[in-house]
Amino acid sequence: MIKAQSVRKVFGSVTVLDGVDLTVAPGEVVSILGSSGSGKSTLIRCINGLERLDGGSITVDDFDVSKPKELAEARKRSGTVFQMFNLYPHMTALQNVTLAPVEVLKRPKAEAEAEGRALLASVGLADRADAFPSQLSGGQRQRVGICRALAMKPRYLLLDEVTSALDPEMTADVLDILAKLAKEGTTMVFVTHEIEFARTISSRVVFLEKGRLVVDLPTEQFFAADGGLANPRIAQFLSKMRKD
Amino acid sequence: MRYTEFTPFDIVLLAQGLGVSVGLFLATTVIGLLIGTLWAVVRFYRVPVLTQVITFVAELLKNSPVLVQLFLVFFGFPAFFHINLGPVEAAVITLSGNTAAFVYVIAVSAIESIGRDQIEAARAFGLTKWQVLRHIIAPQAMAFAIGPLTGLLVNQLQVTSLISVIGVMDLTKIGNILNLRTLKPFIVWAVVGVLYYLAAKLIAYAGATLERRLRAHTAWKGL
Ligand SMILES: Nc1ncnc2c1ncn2[C@@H]1O[C@H](COP(=O)(O)OP(=O)(O)O)[C@@H](O)[C@H]1O
Ligand SMILES: [Mg+2]
Repeated sequence: MIKAQSVRKVFGSVTVLDGVDLTVAPGEVVSILGSSGSGKSTLIRCINGLERLDGGSITVDDFDVSKPKELAEARKRSGTVFQMFNLYPHMTALQNVTLAPVEVLKRPKAEAEAEGRALLASVGLADRADAFPSQLSGGQRQRVGICRALAMKPRYLLLDEVTSALDPEMTADVLDILAKLAKEGTTMVFVTHEIEFARTISSRVVFLEKGRLVVDLPTEQFFAADGGLANPRIAQFLSKMRKD
Repeated sequence: MRYTEFTPFDIVLLAQGLGVSVGLFLATTVIGLLIGTLWAVVRFYRVPVLTQVITFVAELLKNSPVLVQLFLVFFGFPAFFHINLGPVEAAVITLSGNTAAFVYVIAVSAIESIGRDQIEAARAFGLTKWQVLRHIIAPQAMAFAIGPLTGLLVNQLQVTSLISVIGVMDLTKIGNILNLRTLKPFIVWAVVGVLYYLAAKLIAYAGATLERRLRAHTAWKGL
Protein backbone atom coordinates (compact mmCIF):
# COMPACT_ATOMS: atom_id res chain seq x y z
CA MET A 1 0.00 0.00 0.00
CA ILE A 2 1.22 3.47 -0.89
CA LYS A 3 -0.27 5.99 1.48
CA ALA A 4 0.19 9.71 1.01
CA GLN A 5 -1.38 11.88 3.68
CA SER A 6 -1.71 15.66 3.57
CA VAL A 7 1.45 15.87 1.48
CA ARG A 8 2.85 19.36 1.12
CA LYS A 9 5.74 20.37 -1.08
CA VAL A 10 7.01 23.91 -1.45
CA PHE A 11 9.55 25.27 -3.91
CA GLY A 12 10.59 28.69 -2.68
CA SER A 13 7.36 30.59 -2.25
CA VAL A 14 5.34 28.27 -4.51
CA THR A 15 3.25 25.52 -2.96
CA VAL A 16 3.47 22.73 -5.50
CA LEU A 17 1.63 20.04 -3.51
CA ASP A 18 -1.00 21.26 -1.12
CA GLY A 19 -2.43 18.63 1.18
CA VAL A 20 -2.49 15.66 -1.19
CA ASP A 21 -4.08 12.43 0.05
CA LEU A 22 -3.67 9.34 -2.09
CA THR A 23 -3.84 5.66 -1.36
CA VAL A 24 -2.78 2.98 -3.81
CA ALA A 25 -3.56 -0.61 -2.89
CA PRO A 26 -1.81 -3.62 -4.42
CA GLY A 27 -3.35 -4.56 -7.76
CA GLU A 28 -4.67 -1.11 -8.50
CA VAL A 29 -3.78 0.99 -11.50
CA VAL A 30 -4.20 4.61 -10.49
CA SER A 31 -3.88 7.20 -13.21
CA ILE A 32 -2.93 10.73 -12.28
CA LEU A 33 -4.22 13.37 -14.64
CA GLY A 34 -3.73 17.09 -14.50
CA SER A 35 -2.43 19.90 -16.63
CA SER A 36 1.23 20.70 -16.95
CA GLY A 37 2.63 22.19 -13.75
CA SER A 38 -0.11 20.79 -11.53
CA GLY A 39 2.43 18.82 -9.50
CA LYS A 40 2.18 15.30 -10.95
CA SER A 41 5.91 14.74 -11.32
CA THR A 42 6.55 16.24 -7.92
CA LEU A 43 4.10 13.79 -6.36
CA ILE A 44 5.90 10.85 -7.99
CA ARG A 45 9.23 12.27 -6.86
CA CYS A 46 7.94 12.54 -3.32
CA ILE A 47 6.87 8.90 -3.37
CA ASN A 48 10.29 7.66 -4.52
CA GLY A 49 12.09 9.99 -2.16
CA LEU A 50 13.71 12.27 -4.72
CA GLU A 51 12.01 15.25 -3.06
CA ARG A 52 11.78 15.90 0.65
CA LEU A 53 8.30 16.57 1.98
CA ASP A 54 7.47 19.89 3.57
CA GLY A 55 4.45 18.45 5.33
CA GLY A 56 2.35 15.33 5.67
CA SER A 57 3.70 11.83 5.20
CA ILE A 58 4.14 9.12 2.61
CA THR A 59 4.53 5.46 3.43
CA VAL A 60 5.22 2.60 1.06
CA ASP A 61 4.19 -0.67 2.69
CA ASP A 62 4.41 1.19 6.01
CA PHE A 63 7.96 2.40 5.35
CA ASP A 64 8.14 6.13 5.86
CA VAL A 65 9.98 7.78 2.97
CA SER A 66 10.97 10.70 5.19
CA LYS A 67 13.19 8.48 7.31
CA PRO A 68 16.46 7.64 5.55
CA LYS A 69 16.60 4.06 6.84
CA GLU A 70 13.02 3.34 5.84
CA LEU A 71 13.40 5.12 2.52
CA ALA A 72 15.91 2.46 1.46
CA GLU A 73 13.26 -0.19 2.09
CA ALA A 74 10.53 1.87 0.45
CA ARG A 75 12.70 2.27 -2.63
CA LYS A 76 13.11 -1.48 -2.96
CA ARG A 77 9.35 -1.69 -3.29
CA SER A 78 8.78 0.86 -5.99
CA GLY A 79 10.29 1.15 -9.44
CA THR A 80 10.21 4.40 -11.36
CA VAL A 81 10.04 4.87 -15.12
CA PHE A 82 11.00 8.39 -16.14
CA GLN A 83 9.70 10.70 -18.81
CA MET A 84 13.16 11.28 -20.26
CA PHE A 85 14.26 7.64 -19.67
CA ASN A 86 17.21 8.69 -17.48
CA LEU A 87 19.27 5.69 -18.54
CA TYR A 88 22.93 5.37 -17.58
CA PRO A 89 24.64 6.33 -20.86
CA HIS A 90 27.90 4.49 -20.20
CA MET A 91 26.19 1.16 -19.63
CA THR A 92 24.61 -1.26 -22.08
CA ALA A 93 20.87 -1.93 -21.98
CA LEU A 94 21.54 -5.08 -19.99
CA GLN A 95 23.85 -3.32 -17.54
CA ASN A 96 21.23 -0.62 -17.06
CA VAL A 97 18.76 -3.33 -16.12
CA THR A 98 21.02 -5.36 -13.81
CA LEU A 99 22.78 -2.59 -11.88
CA ALA A 100 20.19 -2.11 -9.15
CA PRO A 101 19.29 -5.80 -8.67
CA VAL A 102 22.98 -6.62 -8.18
CA GLU A 103 23.91 -3.59 -6.06
CA VAL A 104 20.74 -2.99 -4.08
CA LEU A 105 19.10 -6.42 -3.87
CA LYS A 106 22.50 -8.19 -3.84
CA ARG A 107 21.36 -10.65 -6.49
CA PRO A 108 24.07 -12.87 -8.00
CA LYS A 109 25.27 -11.26 -11.21
CA ALA A 110 24.67 -14.27 -13.45
CA GLU A 111 21.10 -14.62 -12.23
CA ALA A 112 20.40 -10.92 -12.63
CA GLU A 113 21.78 -11.03 -16.15
CA ALA A 114 19.70 -14.03 -17.14
CA GLU A 115 16.59 -12.32 -15.82
CA GLY A 116 17.61 -9.04 -17.43
CA ARG A 117 17.97 -10.70 -20.81
CA ALA A 118 14.60 -12.39 -20.41
CA LEU A 119 13.00 -9.05 -19.52
CA LEU A 120 14.57 -7.32 -22.50
CA ALA A 121 13.42 -10.17 -24.72
CA SER A 122 9.88 -9.78 -23.38
CA VAL A 123 9.78 -6.22 -24.70
CA GLY A 124 11.31 -7.14 -28.04
CA LEU A 125 14.87 -6.10 -27.25
CA ALA A 126 16.56 -9.51 -27.14
CA ASP A 127 19.11 -8.52 -29.76
CA ARG A 128 19.71 -5.03 -28.30
CA ALA A 129 20.81 -6.13 -24.83
CA ASP A 130 24.42 -5.14 -25.46
CA ALA A 131 23.65 -1.82 -27.13
CA PHE A 132 24.32 1.49 -25.41
CA PRO A 133 21.44 3.94 -24.92
CA SER A 134 22.94 6.25 -27.56
CA GLN A 135 22.50 3.43 -30.06
CA LEU A 136 18.80 2.96 -29.29
CA SER A 137 15.70 4.78 -30.47
CA GLY A 138 13.53 6.66 -27.97
CA GLY A 139 10.99 3.87 -27.84
CA GLN A 140 13.70 1.28 -27.30
CA ARG A 141 15.24 3.40 -24.55
CA GLN A 142 11.95 3.65 -22.75
CA ARG A 143 11.46 -0.09 -23.02
CA VAL A 144 14.86 -0.49 -21.39
CA GLY A 145 13.66 1.99 -18.75
CA ILE A 146 10.65 -0.20 -18.06
CA CYS A 147 12.81 -3.34 -17.84
CA ARG A 148 15.14 -1.54 -15.46
CA ALA A 149 12.21 -0.87 -13.16
CA LEU A 150 10.72 -4.36 -13.52
CA ALA A 151 14.08 -5.99 -12.78
CA MET A 152 13.68 -4.84 -9.19
CA LYS A 153 10.44 -6.82 -8.99
CA PRO A 154 8.77 -3.77 -7.54
CA ARG A 155 5.40 -3.97 -5.89
CA TYR A 156 4.58 -0.56 -7.27
CA LEU A 157 5.49 0.80 -10.64
CA LEU A 158 5.67 4.59 -10.77
CA LEU A 159 5.34 5.92 -14.30
CA ASP A 160 5.79 9.62 -15.02
CA GLU A 161 4.59 10.53 -18.51
CA VAL A 162 6.63 7.69 -19.91
CA THR A 163 5.42 8.20 -23.49
CA SER A 164 5.41 11.97 -23.78
CA ALA A 165 8.91 12.07 -25.25
CA LEU A 166 8.01 9.47 -27.89
CA ASP A 167 6.44 9.69 -31.32
CA PRO A 168 3.04 8.01 -31.80
CA GLU A 169 4.37 4.73 -33.16
CA MET A 170 6.82 4.26 -30.31
CA THR A 171 4.15 5.37 -27.87
CA ALA A 172 1.95 2.52 -29.04
CA ASP A 173 4.78 0.01 -28.44
CA VAL A 174 5.30 1.23 -24.90
CA LEU A 175 1.60 1.41 -24.07
CA ASP A 176 1.16 -2.18 -25.27
CA ILE A 177 3.74 -3.26 -22.73
CA LEU A 178 2.02 -1.30 -19.96
CA ALA A 179 -1.37 -2.79 -20.89
CA LYS A 180 0.13 -6.23 -20.59
CA LEU A 181 1.62 -5.39 -17.20
CA ALA A 182 -1.73 -4.05 -16.02
CA LYS A 183 -3.44 -7.22 -17.12
CA GLU A 184 -0.91 -9.24 -15.14
CA GLY A 185 -1.96 -7.35 -12.03
CA THR A 186 1.02 -5.01 -11.72
CA THR A 187 0.28 -2.13 -9.38
CA MET A 188 0.85 1.16 -11.12
CA VAL A 189 0.80 4.83 -10.41
CA PHE A 190 0.47 6.21 -13.84
CA VAL A 191 0.98 9.88 -14.65
CA THR A 192 -0.14 10.41 -18.21
CA HIS A 193 -1.69 12.55 -20.87
CA GLU A 194 -2.90 9.46 -22.73
CA ILE A 195 -6.48 9.85 -21.57
CA GLU A 196 -8.06 7.05 -23.59
CA PHE A 197 -5.35 4.64 -22.60
CA ALA A 198 -5.67 5.61 -18.95
CA ARG A 199 -9.37 4.94 -19.21
CA THR A 200 -8.79 1.39 -20.46
CA ILE A 201 -6.19 0.30 -17.93
CA SER A 202 -6.97 2.26 -14.75
CA SER A 203 -8.99 1.12 -11.82
CA ARG A 204 -9.04 4.67 -10.49
CA VAL A 205 -8.36 8.11 -11.85
CA VAL A 206 -7.30 11.10 -9.80
CA PHE A 207 -7.09 14.68 -10.94
CA LEU A 208 -4.49 17.16 -9.73
CA GLU A 209 -5.05 20.86 -10.02
CA LYS A 210 -2.53 23.39 -8.75
CA GLY A 211 -1.15 20.94 -6.25
CA ARG A 212 -4.51 19.85 -4.92
CA LEU A 213 -5.96 16.43 -5.56
CA VAL A 214 -9.45 17.55 -6.46
CA VAL A 215 -11.01 14.31 -7.66
CA ASP A 216 -10.34 10.66 -6.87
CA LEU A 217 -12.85 8.31 -8.47
CA PRO A 218 -13.15 4.82 -9.93
CA THR A 219 -12.42 5.06 -13.64
CA GLU A 220 -15.98 4.66 -14.84
CA GLN A 221 -17.29 7.32 -12.52
CA PHE A 222 -14.47 9.67 -13.41
CA PHE A 223 -15.50 9.63 -17.05
CA ALA A 224 -19.25 9.68 -16.33
CA ALA A 225 -21.21 12.81 -17.08
CA ASP A 226 -22.51 12.98 -13.52
CA GLY A 227 -19.13 11.96 -12.04
CA GLY A 228 -15.77 13.57 -12.77
CA LEU A 229 -17.10 15.29 -15.87
CA ALA A 230 -19.50 17.23 -13.70
CA ASN A 231 -16.44 19.20 -12.60
CA PRO A 232 -16.04 21.90 -15.26
CA ARG A 233 -12.25 21.98 -14.89
CA ILE A 234 -11.99 18.28 -15.59
CA ALA A 235 -14.41 18.45 -18.52
CA GLN A 236 -12.35 21.29 -19.94
CA PHE A 237 -9.09 19.44 -19.38
CA LEU A 238 -10.36 16.26 -21.02
CA SER A 239 -11.77 17.97 -24.06
CA LYS A 240 -8.51 19.89 -24.51
CA MET A 241 -6.45 16.70 -24.21
CA ARG A 242 -8.64 14.84 -26.70
CA LYS A 243 -8.29 17.59 -29.26
CA ASP A 244 -4.47 17.30 -29.23
CA MET B 1 91.95 24.12 -12.81
CA ARG B 2 88.56 23.19 -14.35
CA TYR B 3 87.73 20.18 -16.35
CA THR B 4 85.62 21.64 -19.14
CA GLU B 5 85.25 18.58 -21.34
CA PHE B 6 82.21 16.28 -21.16
CA THR B 7 82.93 12.86 -19.70
CA PRO B 8 80.97 9.59 -19.94
CA PHE B 9 80.16 10.06 -16.26
CA ASP B 10 78.08 13.11 -17.16
CA ILE B 11 75.59 10.79 -18.78
CA VAL B 12 75.25 8.94 -15.48
CA LEU B 13 74.73 12.27 -13.74
CA LEU B 14 72.03 13.26 -16.22
CA ALA B 15 70.37 9.89 -15.85
CA GLN B 16 70.38 10.30 -12.07
CA GLY B 17 68.91 13.77 -12.38
CA LEU B 18 66.23 12.51 -14.72
CA GLY B 19 65.51 9.69 -12.28
CA VAL B 20 65.08 12.14 -9.42
CA SER B 21 62.81 14.38 -11.47
CA VAL B 22 60.68 11.53 -12.75
CA GLY B 23 60.61 9.84 -9.34
CA LEU B 24 59.47 13.02 -7.62
CA PHE B 25 56.97 13.61 -10.38
CA LEU B 26 55.50 10.12 -10.06
CA ALA B 27 55.37 10.21 -6.26
CA THR B 28 53.76 13.64 -6.11
CA THR B 29 51.36 12.67 -8.91
CA VAL B 30 50.14 9.62 -7.02
CA ILE B 31 49.78 11.56 -3.76
CA GLY B 32 48.21 14.53 -5.53
CA LEU B 33 45.71 12.33 -7.39
CA LEU B 34 44.72 10.57 -4.19
CA ILE B 35 44.33 13.74 -2.14
CA GLY B 36 42.65 15.76 -4.89
CA THR B 37 40.17 12.96 -5.58
CA LEU B 38 39.51 12.50 -1.88
CA TRP B 39 38.80 16.23 -1.56
CA ALA B 40 36.36 16.01 -4.47
CA VAL B 41 34.61 13.08 -2.80
CA VAL B 42 34.31 15.06 0.44
CA ARG B 43 32.73 17.83 -1.57
CA PHE B 44 30.41 15.34 -3.30
CA TYR B 45 29.15 14.28 0.14
CA ARG B 46 28.83 17.97 1.04
CA VAL B 47 30.57 17.39 4.36
CA PRO B 48 29.98 20.66 6.19
CA VAL B 49 32.98 22.83 7.17
CA LEU B 50 35.46 20.37 5.67
CA THR B 51 34.20 21.15 2.17
CA GLN B 52 34.65 24.87 2.72
CA VAL B 53 38.10 24.35 4.18
CA ILE B 54 39.15 22.25 1.21
CA THR B 55 37.83 24.75 -1.32
CA PHE B 56 39.70 27.52 0.48
CA VAL B 57 42.98 25.59 0.64
CA ALA B 58 42.69 24.56 -3.02
CA GLU B 59 42.11 28.20 -3.98
CA LEU B 60 45.24 29.25 -2.08
CA LEU B 61 47.35 26.53 -3.70
CA LYS B 62 46.05 27.25 -7.19
CA ASN B 63 46.52 30.99 -7.04
CA SER B 64 50.00 31.38 -5.60
CA PRO B 65 53.34 30.61 -7.25
CA VAL B 66 54.66 27.12 -6.60
CA LEU B 67 58.08 28.62 -5.87
CA VAL B 68 56.61 30.72 -3.06
CA GLN B 69 54.85 27.63 -1.67
CA LEU B 70 58.13 25.74 -1.87
CA PHE B 71 59.97 28.44 0.12
CA LEU B 72 57.14 28.58 2.64
CA VAL B 73 57.40 24.84 3.23
CA PHE B 74 61.18 24.58 3.12
CA PHE B 75 61.96 27.63 5.24
CA GLY B 76 58.61 28.12 6.98
CA PHE B 77 58.02 24.66 8.43
CA PRO B 78 61.28 24.59 10.41
CA ALA B 79 60.69 28.11 11.65
CA PHE B 80 57.02 27.78 12.64
CA PHE B 81 56.48 24.13 13.43
CA HIS B 82 60.06 23.25 14.36
CA ILE B 83 59.96 20.42 11.83
CA ASN B 84 63.19 20.04 9.93
CA LEU B 85 62.59 19.16 6.33
CA GLY B 86 65.12 17.99 3.80
CA PRO B 87 64.82 19.47 0.32
CA VAL B 88 63.28 16.28 -1.07
CA GLU B 89 60.63 16.17 1.65
CA ALA B 90 59.81 19.83 1.13
CA ALA B 91 59.57 19.21 -2.61
CA VAL B 92 57.25 16.22 -2.15
CA ILE B 93 54.93 18.14 0.18
CA THR B 94 54.76 21.21 -2.03
CA LEU B 95 54.33 19.49 -5.36
CA SER B 96 51.79 16.99 -3.99
CA GLY B 97 49.71 19.80 -2.54
CA ASN B 98 49.87 21.76 -5.76
CA THR B 99 48.91 18.77 -7.90
CA ALA B 100 46.11 17.92 -5.46
CA ALA B 101 44.62 21.40 -5.80
CA PHE B 102 44.42 21.15 -9.59
CA VAL B 103 43.24 17.53 -9.52
CA TYR B 104 40.50 18.68 -7.14
CA VAL B 105 39.30 21.30 -9.61
CA ILE B 106 39.28 18.82 -12.48
CA ALA B 107 37.58 16.10 -10.42
CA VAL B 108 34.87 18.47 -9.19
CA SER B 109 33.99 19.63 -12.68
CA ALA B 110 34.11 16.03 -13.95
CA ILE B 111 31.67 14.97 -11.24
CA GLU B 112 29.42 17.91 -11.95
CA SER B 113 29.42 17.13 -15.66
CA ILE B 114 27.39 13.97 -15.05
CA GLY B 115 23.69 14.51 -15.75
CA ARG B 116 21.47 14.91 -12.69
CA ASP B 117 18.76 12.74 -14.21
CA GLN B 118 20.74 9.50 -14.30
CA ILE B 119 21.92 10.06 -10.76
CA GLU B 120 18.34 10.57 -9.61
CA ALA B 121 17.29 7.39 -11.40
CA ALA B 122 19.97 5.42 -9.60
CA ARG B 123 18.98 6.95 -6.26
CA ALA B 124 15.31 6.15 -6.88
CA PHE B 125 16.31 2.52 -7.41
CA GLY B 126 17.91 2.53 -3.99
CA LEU B 127 21.60 2.84 -4.82
CA THR B 128 23.51 4.56 -2.04
CA LYS B 129 25.45 7.72 -2.68
CA TRP B 130 28.63 5.67 -2.68
CA GLN B 131 27.24 3.17 -5.20
CA VAL B 132 26.16 6.05 -7.42
CA LEU B 133 29.64 7.53 -7.19
CA ARG B 134 31.27 4.22 -7.96
CA HIS B 135 29.04 2.92 -10.75
CA ILE B 136 27.48 5.97 -12.35
CA ILE B 137 29.70 8.96 -11.73
CA ALA B 138 33.25 7.60 -11.54
CA PRO B 139 33.40 5.80 -14.90
CA GLN B 140 31.96 8.75 -16.79
CA ALA B 141 33.88 11.37 -14.80
CA MET B 142 37.10 9.48 -15.51
CA ALA B 143 36.53 9.59 -19.26
CA PHE B 144 35.75 13.30 -18.88
CA ALA B 145 38.77 14.09 -16.71
CA ILE B 146 41.53 12.14 -18.39
CA GLY B 147 42.22 14.82 -21.01
CA PRO B 148 42.55 17.75 -18.57
CA LEU B 149 44.50 15.51 -16.17
CA THR B 150 47.04 14.63 -18.85
CA GLY B 151 47.50 18.33 -19.59
CA LEU B 152 47.92 19.04 -15.89
CA LEU B 153 50.52 16.30 -15.38
CA VAL B 154 52.60 17.37 -18.38
CA ASN B 155 52.69 20.81 -16.80
CA GLN B 156 53.47 19.46 -13.32
CA LEU B 157 56.48 17.63 -14.73
CA GLN B 158 57.89 20.97 -15.88
CA VAL B 159 57.05 22.48 -12.50
CA THR B 160 59.31 19.93 -10.78
CA SER B 161 62.29 21.86 -12.19
CA LEU B 162 61.60 24.57 -9.58
CA ILE B 163 62.75 22.31 -6.76
CA SER B 164 66.34 22.60 -7.95
CA VAL B 165 66.51 25.97 -6.20
CA ILE B 166 66.32 24.35 -2.75
CA GLY B 167 69.08 21.91 -3.66
CA VAL B 168 67.25 18.80 -4.85
CA MET B 169 69.52 17.00 -7.33
CA ASP B 170 66.94 16.86 -10.08
CA LEU B 171 67.52 17.12 -13.80
CA THR B 172 67.62 20.91 -13.77
CA LYS B 173 70.08 20.98 -10.88
CA ILE B 174 72.35 18.55 -12.69
CA GLY B 175 72.06 20.70 -15.78
CA ASN B 176 73.13 23.66 -13.70
CA ILE B 177 76.15 21.80 -12.33
CA LEU B 178 77.24 20.60 -15.77
CA ASN B 179 76.76 24.06 -17.18
CA LEU B 180 78.92 25.68 -14.53
CA ARG B 181 81.64 23.14 -15.06
CA THR B 182 81.73 22.88 -18.84
CA LEU B 183 80.64 26.43 -19.69
CA LYS B 184 78.73 24.99 -22.64
CA PRO B 185 75.20 26.19 -21.83
CA PHE B 186 73.81 25.62 -25.27
CA ILE B 187 74.66 21.95 -25.31
CA VAL B 188 73.80 21.26 -21.69
CA TRP B 189 70.41 22.97 -21.66
CA ALA B 190 69.51 21.56 -25.06
CA VAL B 191 70.13 18.04 -23.76
CA VAL B 192 68.23 18.74 -20.53
CA GLY B 193 65.37 20.27 -22.51
CA VAL B 194 65.15 17.25 -24.78
CA LEU B 195 65.03 14.93 -21.78
CA TYR B 196 62.12 16.89 -20.27
CA TYR B 197 60.46 16.91 -23.64
CA LEU B 198 60.72 13.16 -24.03
CA ALA B 199 59.38 12.56 -20.54
CA ALA B 200 56.46 14.93 -21.21
CA LYS B 201 55.70 13.17 -24.49
CA LEU B 202 55.64 9.88 -22.65
CA ILE B 203 53.05 11.24 -20.20
CA ALA B 204 50.92 12.61 -23.03
CA TYR B 205 51.13 9.31 -24.83
CA ALA B 206 50.14 7.34 -21.74
CA GLY B 207 47.23 9.72 -21.16
CA ALA B 208 46.00 9.39 -24.73
CA THR B 209 46.25 5.61 -24.59
CA LEU B 210 44.34 5.49 -21.32
CA GLU B 211 41.69 7.81 -22.69
CA ARG B 212 41.22 5.68 -25.78
CA ARG B 213 40.92 2.59 -23.64
CA LEU B 214 38.43 4.20 -21.26
CA ARG B 215 36.23 5.25 -24.11
CA ALA B 216 36.63 2.04 -26.09
CA HIS B 217 35.73 0.03 -23.01
CA THR B 218 32.40 1.79 -22.81
CA ALA B 219 32.07 2.42 -26.54
CA TRP B 220 30.20 5.41 -25.23
CA LYS B 221 29.51 8.01 -27.83
CA GLY B 222 28.45 10.82 -25.55
CA LEU B 223 24.96 11.95 -24.70
N1 LIG C 1 13.08 21.69 -8.49
C1 LIG C 1 12.11 22.64 -8.64
N2 LIG C 1 12.35 23.90 -8.27
C2 LIG C 1 11.42 24.86 -8.38
N3 LIG C 1 10.19 24.65 -8.88
C3 LIG C 1 9.89 23.39 -9.29
C4 LIG C 1 10.84 22.33 -9.19
N4 LIG C 1 10.26 21.20 -9.65
C5 LIG C 1 9.02 21.56 -10.03
N5 LIG C 1 8.79 22.86 -9.81
C6 LIG C 1 7.53 23.58 -10.07
O1 LIG C 1 6.50 22.85 -9.45
C7 LIG C 1 5.34 22.88 -10.25
C8 LIG C 1 4.87 21.47 -10.51
O2 LIG C 1 5.82 20.82 -11.32
P1 LIG C 1 5.66 19.33 -11.78
O3 LIG C 1 5.44 18.48 -10.59
O4 LIG C 1 6.80 19.00 -12.65
O5 LIG C 1 4.33 19.41 -12.63
P2 LIG C 1 3.75 18.38 -13.67
O6 LIG C 1 4.55 17.13 -13.64
O7 LIG C 1 2.33 18.18 -13.25
O8 LIG C 1 3.81 19.06 -15.00
C9 LIG C 1 5.69 23.65 -11.50
O9 LIG C 1 5.21 24.95 -11.34
C10 LIG C 1 7.17 23.62 -11.53
O10 LIG C 1 7.66 24.77 -12.14
MG1 LIG D 1 5.70 16.25 -15.13
